[in-house]
Amino acid sequence: MKFAHLADCHIGAWRDPRLRDINAKAFEAAVDTCIWENVDFVLISGDLFNTSIPAIDGLKVAVSRLKQLKQHNIPVYMVAGSHDFSPSGRTMLDVLEEAELIANVVKGSVVDNRLKLDFTVDKKTGAKITGMLGKKGMLEKAYYESIDAKPLEAEPGFKIFMFHTALTELKPKGLEKMDSSPVSMLPRGFDYYAGGHVHIIKEESLPGYKNIVYPGPLFPNSFRELEELKCGGFYIYDNGSMTYRPLQIVNVFSIAIDCSQKTPEQVEAELRKETEKKEFVNTIVTIRLEGTLKSGKISEINLKDIFTELYEKSAFFVMHSTSGLATKEFEEIKVSRQSVEDVEDALIREHIGQSRLGIGETDEIGLVKELIRALNIEKQEGEKSADYEARIKKDAVATLNLKEDFS
Amino acid sequence: MVKGRIISGQFGSIMVRQKSGAELELGELLVAEAAGSKILMQVIDLVYGSQLSQQSLELISGLKLEENADLEFMDAELRNYNLAVLKNLVTIKGNSAMMPKSLPEFFSEVRQVEKDDIKFLTKPKNPLFVGKLRSGSKTLDVDIFIRGDEVFSHHILIPATTGKGKSNLTSCILWDCIDKDYCANLVLDPHDEYFGRTGIGLKDHPMKEKVVYYTPKSPPPGARSLRVNIKSLRPGHFNGVANFSDAQRQGIAAYFRRFRENWVEAILLEKEVGVDFQEATLAVLKRRLMELLDIDVFDGKLVCNDIFTGSGAETTVEDVCNELEKANTVIIDTSSFSGAVEILVGSLVSTEIFRRYRSYKMKGSIREKPVVSIILEEAPRVLGREVLEQGQNIFATIAREGRKFKIGLMAITQLPSLIPREILANMNTKIILGIEMAPERQSIIESASQDLSADNRTIASLDIGEAIISSNFVKFATPIKIPLFEELVKEYQNTHNAEKYSTNYSGVKLK
Repeated sequence: MKFAHLADCHIGAWRDPRLRDINAKAFEAAVDTCIWENVDFVLISGDLFNTSIPAIDGLKVAVSRLKQLKQHNIPVYMVAGSHDFSPSGRTMLDVLEEAELIANVVKGSVVDNRLKLDFTVDKKTGAKITGMLGKKGMLEKAYYESIDAKPLEAEPGFKIFMFHTALTELKPKGLEKMDSSPVSMLPRGFDYYAGGHVHIIKEESLPGYKNIVYPGPLFPNSFRELEELKCGGFYIYDNGSMTYRPLQIVNVFSIAIDCSQKTPEQVEAELRKETEKKEFVNTIVTIRLEGTLKSGKISEINLKDIFTELYEKSAFFVMHSTSGLATKEFEEIKVSRQSVEDVEDALIREHIGQSRLGIGETDEIGLVKELIRALNIEKQEGEKSADYEARIKKDAVATLNLKEDFS
Repeated sequence: MVKGRIISGQFGSIMVRQKSGAELELGELLVAEAAGSKILMQVIDLVYGSQLSQQSLELISGLKLEENADLEFMDAELRNYNLAVLKNLVTIKGNSAMMPKSLPEFFSEVRQVEKDDIKFLTKPKNPLFVGKLRSGSKTLDVDIFIRGDEVFSHHILIPATTGKGKSNLTSCILWDCIDKDYCANLVLDPHDEYFGRTGIGLKDHPMKEKVVYYTPKSPPPGARSLRVNIKSLRPGHFNGVANFSDAQRQGIAAYFRRFRENWVEAILLEKEVGVDFQEATLAVLKRRLMELLDIDVFDGKLVCNDIFTGSGAETTVEDVCNELEKANTVIIDTSSFSGAVEILVGSLVSTEIFRRYRSYKMKGSIREKPVVSIILEEAPRVLGREVLEQGQNIFATIAREGRKFKIGLMAITQLPSLIPREILANMNTKIILGIEMAPERQSIIESASQDLSADNRTIASLDIGEAIISSNFVKFATPIKIPLFEELVKEYQNTHNAEKYSTNYSGVKLK
């Protein structure tokens, strides 16, 4: 028996179209490998798409590749994940199942308030597959609690349990605060536990639970994942042996600089040193800046020029994170006020005068407050995102008394 | 109901003649009325009294015994009677109670306590239910609550002889805490008895999701398998767990400095540390760690046989602490461990939660956190004089400083005399169950928050489930009757029926 285990494909993730495209390419490459390896079937443990109703481009990629697998007589079994599940049932997975491109293995019946899960039997291999979907905020926990595990555990044959849940015992350092369920929630005695949801690459066996596998995402899903994982991948199970197949669609080059006690100029110089004499063909470059600058502002680090230089060196995509970067000019201020307005007022007064607007202090405070108000307006029901964006920009521009074409 | 009349005595030892047919008991609560106040008293001793001389009594009894004489006392109830020795507990004025400073009126009547007398026993903020008020062997329908957050952070000692109801009391306390947000409990359970794997236990609470159970033995659904990554271990966790020589300690320190979180692995795999140590020192160190952690080295790789593992379980300690911070009850089944491993696991978790809470205190956010109580069975294993003479451990630190950081101990023991006096004195609440051994009683009496010097006999006579609470947070050493856990569960389930809701199973393709 040979099968592939994918999870967390997140087709449609990433806002930038270039990264979105790479994400889709990872899925295509995984399918190509599955066909090339002539696997008996494919498991997708949730989050095929990044949303329950994905955009047309991503959907097209998924449908075309799932169709290809079907043409090669490779069935795809899956469970819904926290991203592609929809409580209303309006999920593209239902459409794909209607079109017989995938089989959702989460099925069964409720008997005496207990959930009796049924097995989906793979015709070619006789493998018996069942599983549980994943929902946001670990809402699937109640489902697990009501599973009647005895008949599942008593079933003979090669059994696979698919799930889209973080398991407490397998969580790595750094994900301590992630909601999770103990392994004991899963029925025992299966031959393979195909996991998804946690973006880690891990295979582990525990007493009563053989081969608990998390393949991680097909392509990193965030800045930090790009830094840590560099690429995504999936597992191939071949008669008892498991192999992780990385999918190297692009290279990832990560730079992390501790900016503590450095000036913006020094940070810039260090960044240049890290990138000099290097080419970045087909490479995503991530730049993480952390610490507290010795002097100056974050905006004084000329990242724009560095980005330009990297693109000139053929970088595929450059991204940066300065969320952990602080400047002494904006130290944390502790205020003990009661209302939000009081806190805002205290913060504004603390910082007033740092930007030279050429207006009096009172006007400046008024302007900042007005700007906060303008940017605080929420999206109306039924309002399109584009219209909302335009409205916010228009309000902000009007508040700042700028020319319309600035936006 | 009048029970007797005060006839003599002194403050703390008031003599009462018992009314015929009234039957006074040791520990019974009695009330004497005084001008504008009442005085609550308790029977601490019972003796016989008679109007006849000892000689006459001996003669009469001889006649009855030897000659089978049909003799009866004239006005027997007037001539022969019982005398009770009472101590003052509190002076009650209206709904408040204060320390007694005066005697009840001479020759005044004493009557049995009534519900109305003890209105001052109000339900405090963050109440912890410990049982019902007891008068002698009679249970009164008055619930006794103590202020949970204060009591937990100031440590609790539960001393008792085996079979007097320590586990039952602990189960009742834990049960009461489950649905409370002000406290969290960490239970190191050496008998695997609190969760109720095979019988009634904390798992039967309507809010069972707030009970987190770790066990190394095939966890039941919902329970977590107890495994700890060796990277979580720090040299300090071994304090009070294993006695290392100075050379071994220095070896551990050198490995920790060089390899940080991988120090255990480095010792076991005999990695070069860059500091000269005698080979024998490192060999012993390796052997001792292998034995303690139940890890073998085979082919240059670690083979982990017990709960300590080299792969996975990286967040176990953090997970436990996170659950505690959510005011949950965490039970760690240590029934299959050796004493040293049990203490090591407890030390790991306690050190981390103590570190976190100390940091919250510094940041000023500790107010938002629940008070954490660590339940320690056989407490002298970590708080015993001999253990502490060999070096301090985290539990002793918590006993001394935990109060400042909202962390307390609930120490359970049969042998309180083994715990140093300064630690016993730090345990500001003592829930005293029956103790038969005089030295053990004495150590409790000497360190109690109230004056229990006259209660030696009362403590010895406490039956199963009967207890006395001596605490800085109660007005007087309160006699209580602890409910039977099974009955408490049934009663709670009847009155707090969890709202049943049906799961809709959206996302599951149902037939």
